[in-house]
Amino acid sequence: MATINKIYSDIDFAFTKKPVTADVALSYDAQAVSRSIRNLLNTQNYDRLFNPDLGSQITGLLFENISPIVASTMETIITNLITNYEPRAKIQSVKVSSQPDLNAYNVTITFYVENATLPTTTTILLERNR
Amino acid sequence: MAGANSQILMTDLDFNTIKNNLKTYLQSQDTLKDYNYEGSALSTLLDVLAYNTQYNAYYLNMVANEMFLDSAIQRSSVVSQAKLLNYIPQSSLSPAATIRFVVNQVSAASLTLPKFTTFMSEAIDGINYNFVTTDSTTVAVSANTATFPSVSIKQGIPSTLSFTVNSTSNPKYKFNIPETNLDTTTLQVLVQQSSANASYQIYTKAENYLTLNSSSLVYFLQESLDGTYDIYFGDNILGKQLTNGNIVIVSYVVTSGTDAAGANNFVLMDSVGGYGNTAITPISAATTGSVKETIDSIKFQAPKAYSAQKRAVTKEDYITVIQQNNLGYAFDAVNVWGGQENSTPVYGQVFIAVKPAGAYTLTATQKQRLITDVIKPVSVMTVEPTLVDPDYTYIQMTANVLYDTKKTNLTSAQIQSAVKTAISNLAITNLNTFNSTFSATDFTNAIAAVSNSIITNEITVKLQKKFYPNLTTPSTYNLYYGTSLERGMFQSGVTSSPSVQFRNPLNLANIIDGVYIEEVPTSTGGLESIAIINPGYGYQFTPTVTILGDGTGATAEAVITSSGSIRAINVLTAGTGYTSAIVQITPNAADTTGALGAATATLIGRYGTLRTYYNDSQNVKTVFNNSIGTIDYVEGIVTLNSFGPIQVNNDLGQLTITAKPTTTIISSSYNRIITIDPYDSGAIVVNVTAKTT
Repeated sequence: MATINKIYSDIDFAFTKKPVTADVALSYDAQAVSRSIRNLLNTQNYDRLFNPDLGSQITGLLFENISPIVASTMETIITNLITNYEPRAKIQSVKVSSQPDLNAYNVTITFYVENATLPTTTTILLERNR
Repeated sequence: MAGANSQILMTDLDFNTIKNNLKTYLQSQDTLKDYNYEGSALSTLLDVLAYNTQYNAYYLNMVANEMFLDSAIQRSSVVSQAKLLNYIPQSSLSPAATIRFVVNQVSAASLTLPKFTTFMSEAIDGINYNFVTTDSTTVAVSANTATFPSVSIKQGIPSTLSFTVNSTSNPKYKFNIPETNLDTTTLQVLVQQSSANASYQIYTKAENYLTLNSSSLVYFLQESLDGTYDIYFGDNILGKQLTNGNIVIVSYVVTSGTDAAGANNFVLMDSVGGYGNTAITPISAATTGSVKETIDSIKFQAPKAYSAQKRAVTKEDYITVIQQNNLGYAFDAVNVWGGQENSTPVYGQVFIAVKPAGAYTLTATQKQRLITDVIKPVSVMTVEPTLVDPDYTYIQMTANVLYDTKKTNLTSAQIQSAVKTAISNLAITNLNTFNSTFSATDFTNAIAAVSNSIITNEITVKLQKKFYPNLTTPSTYNLYYGTSLERGMFQSGVTSSPSVQFRNPLNLANIIDGVYIEEVPTSTGGLESIAIINPGYGYQFTPTVTILGDGTGATAEAVITSSGSIRAINVLTAGTGYTSAIVQITPNAADTTGALGAATATLIGRYGTLRTYYNDSQNVKTVFNNSIGTIDYVEGIVTLNSFGPIQVNNDLGQLTITAKPTTTIISSSYNRIITIDPYDSGAIVVNVTAKTT
């Protein structure tokens, strides 16, 4: 695959260092966007200073009884969240499946990022972690 | 990283602006690009950076605010800034009352009323207040009775604290009195030698630092950071230093502020020297006192106190010095002017008019103390301060209000009461102080603003002077209304209330009751001047001048020139009762040539006459004295000459003289105060009429 121009670049959330330069590692394009989406999903309303609208109430839903209705509500919330706050991702699908044994939901998001020909799929496990 | 946006804007305080500035800065590089997306790690980092920046900037801004007197918000900062201006904010002041205190059946030769003897006041709004003496007083006992003629008692709870001096734990010799509402004028500081040696010395508050030396027994007072009070002592250079083992004994009164104002009846809570048979006579009711000086007041007063430098030279200096007196007197208003401004100039004197809070005038003792203890120590030696009472002019206002019933659900009584309240409130804000102006238009506007339903209103204004006539010796009273007065007829002119009683001069045993003062109708007085129309010619002798008219008693004489014409005609006697007058010039009988002299008379319009009248047993109006005084309509002065009633028919013995001003814009100056008497139910009359359709 030919080198493509990287149009998105972000600091790696893990703050790992590059082995050669010892600089902070960066993440690019689809990887940067999928990490951003994960970050948004983990942000609750009022978490972010002076920006209370950012984030969602998903964490609250995780404490509800597991049911298809909750999963469906989560799908809507996640779709809205990405549409509003992550314009880089053009959503193809959002699937939330319950994992009752883990008390968790598995979120699979498929989206297109500009400059990439193939869709990106990212899977995020949402658990109660409070 | 350097680029077009490599300069970062640093002046903003708003979080979003700071974050945007950081984003603009990041645009100058292309390694990291995701700063615009809220979910990115970079955006989260920017949030932290921006928040940190904003936090510091806000904190710094607040610190800077607190550094200046004008912008400081914390009381401790304001007090600290004021300290640099040598200004100690006024503490709470206890209401103070004066009583006459008598102890009976005393067997000793003298009796001491100790400090902090406790009295309890009558209930004010359901609460009885503690009053205490702040000094001890000793009097000689006469006929088994000890009389304390004038005891000052202050409201508050007395308290005493002791501190043992320890230079290791308290090297600055600073002691905190943990009370925010103490009255610092009651603070007394004693320093006992040691626990073994009970001899003590009294320390006073340091006032004048020029006179302090290493042996001065002084303490310094300041308000502490938490609003309580600190006292601290000298360093053997400015004031005597304390030594280890000294015991500082502080006593003071903690007051409830202004709550006990007006208390006038007291009972003793202790016995005095073991004697319990006592009698208390009120002399003066408790003054208003005051709460601790507010932050706004400190901001206002401190720079003025600094510019006055504890010297009274300019008008503002006097006002500041008097307002900040340490006697515990609170004043609503103070006005000062030089004697040269008086209508009869008095040089070398400064006139000071004060309106005490909660009272009309100061007592003679209070005036004396204000002069000797407050003003004299700081005033220029050759200038004599003179305290004058405020001269109150009361406004009696009648408001006629027309309203539309369709536009309101208020009853006419409610509108009437709302209008009354609006008038009283405006009077409180605009009037009741020196150098104020009464304007009828302001009141008309205030009434119109009461309700949309008020279609229109008008007010008529009368001015009243109130005084206490001397009931034993006939005296002369000059009442200054401060504005020109309207000439009136019967009840529309100058009137008096209530009625007074006179002795019948023809039969001193006979008392005439129900006597009123009124303006003599159409009293136009006599001649003011005579102007020459034609000087005439050929007068060999001074011609005779005769005044013809409806009045009586006017006489005049002509002055002729050497060439035989009339130079002037001088009025000798003004006469009375003229409404028209013709000047007749008659040549002397021996004069053969003098002719054609002519002149006109100008009647006195300036003065009117007052008389007293009563209704006799058949209810017939009878004039008692047809000339009891005069009215100067131009200057607005009513004078009562040798006015000697033996009784004024009301509880206070106060006589009110009402007059109508020619204008409804009335300004006060010097010691004059225009006010609407809050205790006079007739001061504001509101007539409400509903518009009928």
